[in-house]
Amino acid sequence: MNASIPQNIPQYLAQVRDALAGADPAVVQDALYDAEEHLRAELAANPGVPESELLRRIATSYGSPEEVAAIYRDAEVTVSRAMRAPAPPARRTLAGRFFGVAADPRTWGALFYMLFSLVTGVFYFAWTAIGVSLSLGLSLLVVGVFFIVFFVGTTRLLSLVEGRIVEALLGVRMPRRPAYPHRHLPLLKRIGQMFTDARTWSTLLYFVLMLPLGLVYFAIAVAGLSVSLGLVAGPVVALFIDGVQTGLYLDGSLIIPAGIAFPFALLLGVVGLFATLHLARGIGALHGRVAHRLLVPGGADVAEVAPQAASAAAPAGAPAVA
Amino acid sequence: MDSGAVPIDIEPHLRKFQKELASGSVALVLLAVLGRSDRPLYGYEIAKRLERDGEALVAGKQSALYPVLRNLHAAGLLDSHVEPSVAGPPRRYYQATALGRAVLAEWTGAWHATRAFVDQALAG
Repeated sequence: MNASIPQNIPQYLAQVRDALAGADPAVVQDALYDAEEHLRAELAANPGVPESELLRRIATSYGSPEEVAAIYRDAEVTVSRAMRAPAPPARRTLAGRFFGVAADPRTWGALFYMLFSLVTGVFYFAWTAIGVSLSLGLSLLVVGVFFIVFFVGTTRLLSLVEGRIVEALLGVRMPRRPAYPHRHLPLLKRIGQMFTDARTWSTLLYFVLMLPLGLVYFAIAVAGLSVSLGLVAGPVVALFIDGVQTGLYLDGSLIIPAGIAFPFALLLGVVGLFATLHLARGIGALHGRVAHRLLVPGGADVAEVAPQAASAAAPAGAPAVA
Repeated sequence: MDSGAVPIDIEPHLRKFQKELASGSVALVLLAVLGRSDRPLYGYEIAKRLERDGEALVAGKQSALYPVLRNLHAAGLLDSHVEPSVAGPPRRYYQATALGRAVLAEWTGAWHATRAFVDQALAG
């Protein structure tokens, strides 16, 4: 309202960004993408009409930057409330808190992410290594410029894909639309921007990091699961199969008889299994923060806006017509 | 839009009610438009269609359509793809899925039931 009427699309977008200050950067990116798509479509549909005149009309149809910002804040609260897996009931007892981890969907998402990250980690790393080395090699030639542009473009796409995976499995809000390309700038300017854009470098860093992280995550998940499941399954299998030597042997002599070893192994296995689940959930939460920080522009201010904002923005008697 | 005719102390209440009404009906309207269309539509095109068909959608701003489109897509009711365009920026096209059409039929029923009920209540 108090802000001056924007004269061109970049000014309009800058006002939307300002009005969304403090919101999750992923929301900001989506809002800017939608607005730019709409505004440029309006511009293309009305050739000959000056941009400032179109933007005056936009304020009543698409909405002023402040109204747009308010709509995206509201929509985000509703969506995140609807999307968020219901929090598992708070458990009081120590045992409830320990075993309750299995009822938290985020645990399983994180566990799956850890197993999957071996594949994605190797792929991201290989893609980055090949792309960077080819870019360096080809930069001696004119073709190199186009290759660099192509390569950086693919990393942006990959980072969007990784964002979708992270949001689905780890529950951290990530952009759903790519950052809008600055098509109005000349090619050389756009290439220059790629190098000065911190996100280009942080995305590459993330992809390189994903190889060691993926290996470690995979190893932890596989080791934790197989050891604890083996400890649980061992006694059970031994009970049903005849002729298996039971008990704990060392150099062929029985050290701990089956009667003592089995309950102990079973207990250790169950505790180990749930400890692995706790570890997975913890790693998932941590990795979500890393991904948000490195892949989302301005992602340093991780916004966990949803819970507080939801209670603040739900006026009394809001109808449940969604 | 019609704020000039409404006394100043009533307007906020009207605004709030319109917003609450819109929160449910926008999804229905979008699904109806896309369910009726025999080809995929993009956001701007949908907005212009609604603008042409009636008074600016239930007093809402067109920017409110995009998050709803995205939610319908996330819920599997719409398909979407991006196409580069000759004249302007790349456009994201939306099209109702089979699930979307089935849901539209159910929503239409729910809408008629609600409307009949509200009309009856208003008529006393």
